[in-house]
Amino acid sequence: MAKEKMVTTDPEILKMAKKHKRPGFGQYVLYFILLLYTLFCFLPFLLVVIAAFTKESSISKNGFSYFPEEWSTDGIMAVLRYGKQLAYSYGITIFITVVGTFTGLMVMSAFAYAISRRDFKLRKFLNVFLIIPMLFQGGQLSAYIIFTGAYHLKDSLLLLILPICVSTMNVIILRTYINNSIPNELNEAAKIDGAGDYRTYFQITLPLMKPSLAAVGFMMATGYWNEWQNALLYIDTAWKKPLQLLLISIQKTIEFLMNSKDVPAQVLQEMGGKLPAQSATMATVLVVVGPILVVYPFFQKYFIKGLTVGSVKG
Amino acid sequence: MKEFFKNTWKNRAHVVLALPAFLIMLLFAYVPMFGLIIAFKRYEMAGGILHSPWNFPENFKMLIQSKDKFLNITVNTLKFYLIFTLLGTFLNIVLAICIDQFAFKNAGRTMQTIMIIPVFISYAAVQFIAYAFLSSDTGIINNDILPLFGLPSMQFYRKAQYWTVILTVINIWHGVGYGSVLYMSVLAGIDQELYEAAKIDGANKWQQIMNITIPMLIPMITVMLLLSVGGIMRSDTGLFYTVTRNNGLLYPTTQTIDAFVLNAIFNNSNYGFTAATTFYQSVVGLLMMLLSNGIVRKLAPENALF
Repeated sequence: MAKEKMVTTDPEILKMAKKHKRPGFGQYVLYFILLLYTLFCFLPFLLVVIAAFTKESSISKNGFSYFPEEWSTDGIMAVLRYGKQLAYSYGITIFITVVGTFTGLMVMSAFAYAISRRDFKLRKFLNVFLIIPMLFQGGQLSAYIIFTGAYHLKDSLLLLILPICVSTMNVIILRTYINNSIPNELNEAAKIDGAGDYRTYFQITLPLMKPSLAAVGFMMATGYWNEWQNALLYIDTAWKKPLQLLLISIQKTIEFLMNSKDVPAQVLQEMGGKLPAQSATMATVLVVVGPILVVYPFFQKYFIKGLTVGSVKG
Repeated sequence: MKEFFKNTWKNRAHVVLALPAFLIMLLFAYVPMFGLIIAFKRYEMAGGILHSPWNFPENFKMLIQSKDKFLNITVNTLKFYLIFTLLGTFLNIVLAICIDQFAFKNAGRTMQTIMIIPVFISYAAVQFIAYAFLSSDTGIINNDILPLFGLPSMQFYRKAQYWTVILTVINIWHGVGYGSVLYMSVLAGIDQELYEAAKIDGANKWQQIMNITIPMLIPMITVMLLLSVGGIMRSDTGLFYTVTRNNGLLYPTTQTIDAFVLNAIFNNSNYGFTAATTFYQSVVGLLMMLLSNGIVRKLAPENALF
């Protein structure tokens, strides 16, 4: 190893190696393959955008298409007709995303900090306590019965926030970051300068954790934004329905309408006198996933830096 | 013992800091674990879990009696776990290495940004995209692609046999771009001098990948695989309940244990059978995790989880 290292510091050879790096034929093949995969990832999403702006008659006549016969903004207009419900759903989704992500980051980073202190004897127990939920879970039925029957939280927004607020994986990511990237000497120095435990955590460690907080926080936010199952299980009141549940309701309504011969007048009235049209549905999808896609590029840079999983053992 | 309490008192600030997360885990992860005892009881709404009468082994008898359903959902769960984990991990690594080796760095970054996008599209939304492709009258595949090859149209939402492939493709589309990020973070940490040295020793790209890149990735691959084994009996209901539109015709190839349980909760039916199923699901998951961690501890102790 030592010998090889010596060789590579030779400027002549380094220059040669650099010359070698000029993209060869293989690189262009790779370019082509990666481009194909990128298209595979992007085209389904593009279809959502195009379908949202396709005239409804084009879809029912020719089916969905990347090259629609006629364009129209009817779909987007129809989404605005959901009006109040869409506004409520947006509000609820934003609320649980912000509150959930913030709460989760605060409690998880505090926990991660506590179990990263080497002189803290209780940390062994807390470590085991953290790992067990990864090995063994109660499952959906038991959770459902307990959350609704014992905690009486049916139809409560708390059930959209707390059950997915603390995850073993995320605590491990945060603890790995504290262990690897925040020198313990900083904490020691702060202590010598007279800072208490809380102050050391809130003013030294927490600010330094930013990259991993950003990465974990963004993934949590996405999790909250996309959460549908707990909403479907627990939420009954219309104004408490988050966006994803709105999407599922739309699909269920379409199915219901397609399966029943005569559509009740009341349902028709709720839908604004029309069945939820294909282009309107796609426009709703666009409105629901849009915000995340707009925000995501700003967080991408933290992904590689902040998301490192170290040893679970701690 | 006295020293332990002394230490804990001295570190009481750390106890306070750990407390909120501790309580949340206690209430929302640990209490449901004990709730699993309903598998040994005849559940009664009024009595709740604690006061319902014991009826062991009635629920498990039901499990064995309805062996077709039970086998079907178990096989589906395992089938998709294996496909998703093996194919998914393989593709994650291939993609990570491809992007890492890619000489056009700017183009690579842009492509990677796009490849990660699908993971942010919820399955509640994905089902509509899938429908736009697969629907028998308005779908792109039946309208545009199949006629191109002179093939007859396919009734995707009526035939179960297509769905193993369909769900696999959707899962890859959804997760591989993001999944590769974790491996990229390892690749970014590899000392470039290793590659330079290998090059000077006459190693070509392929040899460099096999002898430097892959061995460097092994610890991360082991950790990720081990972490996934605990979920061997679990599945993303977004895919198996929502994307399949909970369509009864597709159950034979698509209904997993979790999708089945979700249905049972909504239909308020057969809690005994369902409880036994979730108990079996949790216990098998735990055993698989302990088993695989044990194997890893024998083979490569430094990569074991605990």
